[in-house]
Amino acid sequence: MKPILKGILWAVIGFTGGAGLLTLVRLALGMSLWDLEPAISVGYIFGLTGWLLGVGVWDYWARAWFGLPLKKFEANGLSRYFSFNLDHKVIGLQYLAVFFFMLLTGGLFAMLMRLELMRPGREFMDPAVYNQIMSLHGIFMIAVAVAVIIGSFGNYIVPLMIGADDMAFPRLNALSFWLTPLVPLLLLSSLFFGGWDSGWTAYAPLSVTNRTGQLFYNLAFMTLGLSSIVGAVNFLTTVLTKRAPGLTWGRLPIFVWSIIATAILSLLATNFIFVVLLLATLERIAGMAFFNPAGGGNPILYQHLFWFYSHPAVYVMALPGLGVVLEVIAHFSRKPLFAYKWAVAGFLGITALSFTVWAHHMFTTGMPESRTAFMFTTELISIPTGFIFLSALGTIWQGRLRLNTPMLFGLAVIVNFLIGGITGIFLADVPTDIQLQDTFWVVAHFHYTIVSTQIFGLVAAIYYWLPKFTGRMYSERLGKIHFWWMFVTFNTTFLPMFWLGLNGMNRRVAQYPAPLGDVNMWVSLNAFLLGASFAFFVVLIALAWVRGPRAVSNPWAARTLEWQTASPPPHDNFPREPKVVGAPYDYGVPDSTHAIVPAADSGND
Amino acid sequence: MKRHLLYAGLLWIILTAIGEYAAFNAKFFTAGAAAEAVIVDDAFRLLMLLGTPVFTFVLAGLVYSVLAFRARSESIEDGPPIRSSRTVTWLWLVITSGLAIFIFFNPGVKGLNELNANPNADLVVQVQARKWAWKLTYPEYNVTIEDASELVLPVNRRVKFEITSADVIHAFWVPAFRMKIDAMPGQTNVLYITPNQLSASSQNDFNLRVQCAELCGTGHARMRAQVRVVEQSEFEAWLAGQ
Repeated sequence: MKPILKGILWAVIGFTGGAGLLTLVRLALGMSLWDLEPAISVGYIFGLTGWLLGVGVWDYWARAWFGLPLKKFEANGLSRYFSFNLDHKVIGLQYLAVFFFMLLTGGLFAMLMRLELMRPGREFMDPAVYNQIMSLHGIFMIAVAVAVIIGSFGNYIVPLMIGADDMAFPRLNALSFWLTPLVPLLLLSSLFFGGWDSGWTAYAPLSVTNRTGQLFYNLAFMTLGLSSIVGAVNFLTTVLTKRAPGLTWGRLPIFVWSIIATAILSLLATNFIFVVLLLATLERIAGMAFFNPAGGGNPILYQHLFWFYSHPAVYVMALPGLGVVLEVIAHFSRKPLFAYKWAVAGFLGITALSFTVWAHHMFTTGMPESRTAFMFTTELISIPTGFIFLSALGTIWQGRLRLNTPMLFGLAVIVNFLIGGITGIFLADVPTDIQLQDTFWVVAHFHYTIVSTQIFGLVAAIYYWLPKFTGRMYSERLGKIHFWWMFVTFNTTFLPMFWLGLNGMNRRVAQYPAPLGDVNMWVSLNAFLLGASFAFFVVLIALAWVRGPRAVSNPWAARTLEWQTASPPPHDNFPREPKVVGAPYDYGVPDSTHAIVPAADSGND
Repeated sequence: MKRHLLYAGLLWIILTAIGEYAAFNAKFFTAGAAAEAVIVDDAFRLLMLLGTPVFTFVLAGLVYSVLAFRARSESIEDGPPIRSSRTVTWLWLVITSGLAIFIFFNPGVKGLNELNANPNADLVVQVQARKWAWKLTYPEYNVTIEDASELVLPVNRRVKFEITSADVIHAFWVPAFRMKIDAMPGQTNVLYITPNQLSASSQNDFNLRVQCAELCGTGHARMRAQVRVVEQSEFEAWLAGQ
């Protein structure tokens, strides 16, 4: 805990120094000495720097720039997880802890929302409070969906899968992680400043005229964006430069491809959310008028910039989960991944097309009839997405399906994401979108796409790789109970929301017309059951982690490299550098091998 | 192999038949109350009819595979090493591309053209949204209603709505008309609606309401007004009373 305390101390010093400096400047300029939002903004820049330096950047990295000796790392024990550690496996689990915490907290916010929505009128909370809870739920879950799989399993598994000893830039990797705890911290702090009520989309002008809590959202999302960009550079460099000999592009596991696609999206798109929130912040604190028509600005500009990031971000959320799913389906069908190259083309095709569709979120803004063009690109994106389904279906067809828990979750993603995809067509086509935009149809649709890919994908990944990072096995019986519990209640919660949308319920409301009360009551009750399934999951995994039976190093008899070393893997992952000699998924091909891992004592050649 | 294809195909056909029957007959929305609603409802039904066989195809393939191909022994056994199939992949590409492009034209472009077909209007209503109320103006009659609790419209007249906002972004939405557009500060958006059903005076159709559909702060949910569609004569009498 010492590095964290040091980080907090340096952050406080930095924040105070930054805010103090601003006060001096204001004094020099003859302005009023204190203005809250500029003080927070400038203070945060210095506080963030202080936090990063204090938590480890100074001791383990920056001292060398000044000719000072670096501090030694904690080598072992639990304290590694609370320090600036460079091991990608430690960082992967650090990511998992932060974002799983955010997932559970975001889930609690959802429970509060459903509590209020059980009945049509004003029940438990003030509409202003509801809007704050709804906004918090939205951004917590967006942060989870953007980062949890790539942060935890991207970090833990990708270097193992490509036969590397670590990521390309281990210090950058630790830096990108240590930015993330600030995200929930800032978002929760917003509640002390009146929260914010503009949702996770935070459209201007509402988001430049509301309470100070909004500023914390801006700073939090910008911080998350920084972390994403730094992480994306690292993933791309790692896959480009650290693959084991023989691991050609055509032999790369599909999960690695999904991370490549995700990293490209993060790297190229995240700048836009950073910029738009920077502009919105300047409009708040410096009187700029980018989005204010009275000052020559345009509120639609906000939405263009926002969605230029946030639509690609939808695929940042979806692709890693789909990568996990294809990975799991191939190993548990005991067949080569069907149409591997088409699946890769699917990931890369989605990546390219996702930059061309952003304005389909804006069909009802009254923009000129360019809607046709965005409708066209949006319809097109269903084609590469279809390749993922083709690959999954072709793989299970005639397989020898082993229906373990990870496989069940993988198959569930196919069903749920299919519902998400088909209901998305109604939003891509302008005539139907005019009616469905901003209704519960949209709410149901994006939960079917994002929860199914990222959250069901995360759960599949946790079950699948649990023996890898704990060396222990979960209970298959409890896992299956958990699967049916979560799969059924997910559908009984979100399917009726399509009906609500069709029947005139708009989103982001604490109160709604009375005739929609019964279905909302049903949705709420099922949402509580769905929420409870996560508590069950946490207990189940905690039990397995602490006292599950020891797992053999390759319990699934899988061919990919991460399973060809000890569980959990040693610090440098493999005793010696592996050699890749074949395709990753050639199950059933006689005498085929994916990779050879020489033993540590096999000679000195 | 042929047997599996046959059974899975049969399952697909059965599921599709059930799905299409439902898609043809289901009442997806509550009753429409404008000529434009028909365009939207038809577009919705067409997409349902086209989406159903796609949904059932994947579902049938998946459910059949789980039933027929699940491993029956504890020992791990590999399946046949099929890496790909040129026929299947190209057929998939052609069919999914064809469907995507088809729905772009119909109902997409076709519906848009129908909605944009007629730029003429019998009546202009100006709507100004603000936190959290609607101001309605009938400029041809010099009638303005602040904080409107109802929007009164004549039946079978094409109404041109000119919509703007005084503060943040709102959205003008009448679910029963199936029409929505944002109310933007500094910009006037236009929406054409032809109400074609008289409102029953005895009951309030909750979807015959103006509802703000863009998050605008605390009063967002309750930013609504009842819509009342009346005969032209009653409309004029109502105007005269304002």
